[in-house]
Amino acid sequence: MTPPVTPPMKLLLALDDGPGARRAVDEAIRIAREKGATLDALFVIDATWDVFTGHDWLSGCNSRIGFLEYMQGLEEKAAAESARAFLELRGDMPGELLTAPGDVVDVIREQAAKGYDLLVLSNPFTRGLEVMRDAVARLTRDAPCDVLLVRADTK
Amino acid sequence: MEDKGLFGKILAIVPGLAVMIGTLYVLRVYVEPWMKDAVVFGRKGWLVQVLSLNYILLSILTGMFYRNILFGGKIPAWAEEGFRTTRLFIKTGVIMLGSLYTFDKLLKVGGIAITLIVAFVFGTAIFILWLGKRLDADRSVTATMAAACGVCGVSAAVATAPGVRAKPVDLALSIATILGFGIMTMFVSPFVGKMLALSDYQFGAWVGTGILNSGQVLATCLAFNPNFAPGTAVAYGEIWNVVRVICIPFVVFFITAWYWKGEADAEHVSLGSILASKFPIFVLGFVGMTALSSLHILGAEGSETLHLMRDVMAWVFGVGLVGLGAYIDVREIRAAGGKPLRIGLIAGATKYVLALIIILAFIPKEGAF
Repeated sequence: MTPPVTPPMKLLLALDDGPGARRAVDEAIRIAREKGATLDALFVIDATWDVFTGHDWLSGCNSRIGFLEYMQGLEEKAAAESARAFLELRGDMPGELLTAPGDVVDVIREQAAKGYDLLVLSNPFTRGLEVMRDAVARLTRDAPCDVLLVRADTK
Repeated sequence: MEDKGLFGKILAIVPGLAVMIGTLYVLRVYVEPWMKDAVVFGRKGWLVQVLSLNYILLSILTGMFYRNILFGGKIPAWAEEGFRTTRLFIKTGVIMLGSLYTFDKLLKVGGIAITLIVAFVFGTAIFILWLGKRLDADRSVTATMAAACGVCGVSAAVATAPGVRAKPVDLALSIATILGFGIMTMFVSPFVGKMLALSDYQFGAWVGTGILNSGQVLATCLAFNPNFAPGTAVAYGEIWNVVRVICIPFVVFFITAWYWKGEADAEHVSLGSILASKFPIFVLGFVGMTALSSLHILGAEGSETLHLMRDVMAWVFGVGLVGLGAYIDVREIRAAGGKPLRIGLIAGATKYVLALIIILAFIPKEGAF
């Protein structure tokens, strides 16, 4: 009798461009190598600046549009830099690099619910406006899979 | 994202808007009258007279309650589009406020308002440019805070950020600082005003000069005196507010020019292009309403039309302020820190106190209209 074939473990790494978040990338790669897992990485382009600046009700529309375009540009630049850094570290390991806009925690949670075994993220998680919030608490409260928090490098 | 079409977009607004309007209805029709009669600490109306709780402050507090407790920190998707109409309500209210004036009344207080605002706006900006250097803050942080504390809070920060290449983290911290300071002053100012027995004219002039966010200036004036009429705190405060808002493009130009002067890859900054992109167009609506009022098209003081208009204005502002409260995320404000917080606290407190001293010294109790 042949033993049942178990599908390879699936890891999701939530990419954070904050200081010290590199440890989470290293840890996710280490685990994926050890377990022979696939490693997908997700960078969320924070699309909540419009809500965050809700108190700006005085500016002319052009001013507001210009600001949101500026933030979008910075977010896209951060996404490109994070992707490049991740791909360099990952090498030929199997997995996808995903980029999606939205509320950072909501997007990560939705993605993690798509059959992943483990979500790896930096603690604190400071992607986009999560620097002002508590992404870790929100994600771990009703996580759709196991979560590994990797302490950010404080140096 | 799927395109909902016009009907779908209007439909998406309904749930959140219904919550905002329903909330205001309950506050105005049931809660406020109850508070006026309620006996607390053996005194009838203590909640209103001592705590200055009226439907305006309650609207903001209820909005904050929705966002931070009931909704768990985030406006839910079903209510989001409705709450987004907050800006529309407050802008409409500000335009309608133009009906409280005639041009001759504006001229009576315009001079002192312009003098005070220009002195405080540019004085604060220059002070922060100096303070930022002393605290060794990043130039873009200094520039953003100079605009935000100098003119009108978040709007000025948003208008300045792209021109000074503000970093997202710094900008988020700056906005949290400004909002936190503004909210604190919004609740403290009515107490101080009543304690010092400030008149509506003095109070409007003080908060119009000293409070950072324009929305908070209006809310604070209405918390002090919830009436919409010539000679009330909101009527005076709004003159200061409008002068300040008109200053936005000039301050953005001044600060952006300062920023690029210190950068190696200096960019050309033109006042014309900044005026075109940053001028708050709704001010023209405000001036238009003042023109209608000056031409007596809206009727004489005490007319049915004006009475109805002011009643509508109270509802429009009230609904907008429920929304404004729902945009206050306490967690985000608690996260304020670093150099933006230090700069904001020092400059904000200095401006707030100095404005009070100057108002007490130079502004008479009797209003100009």
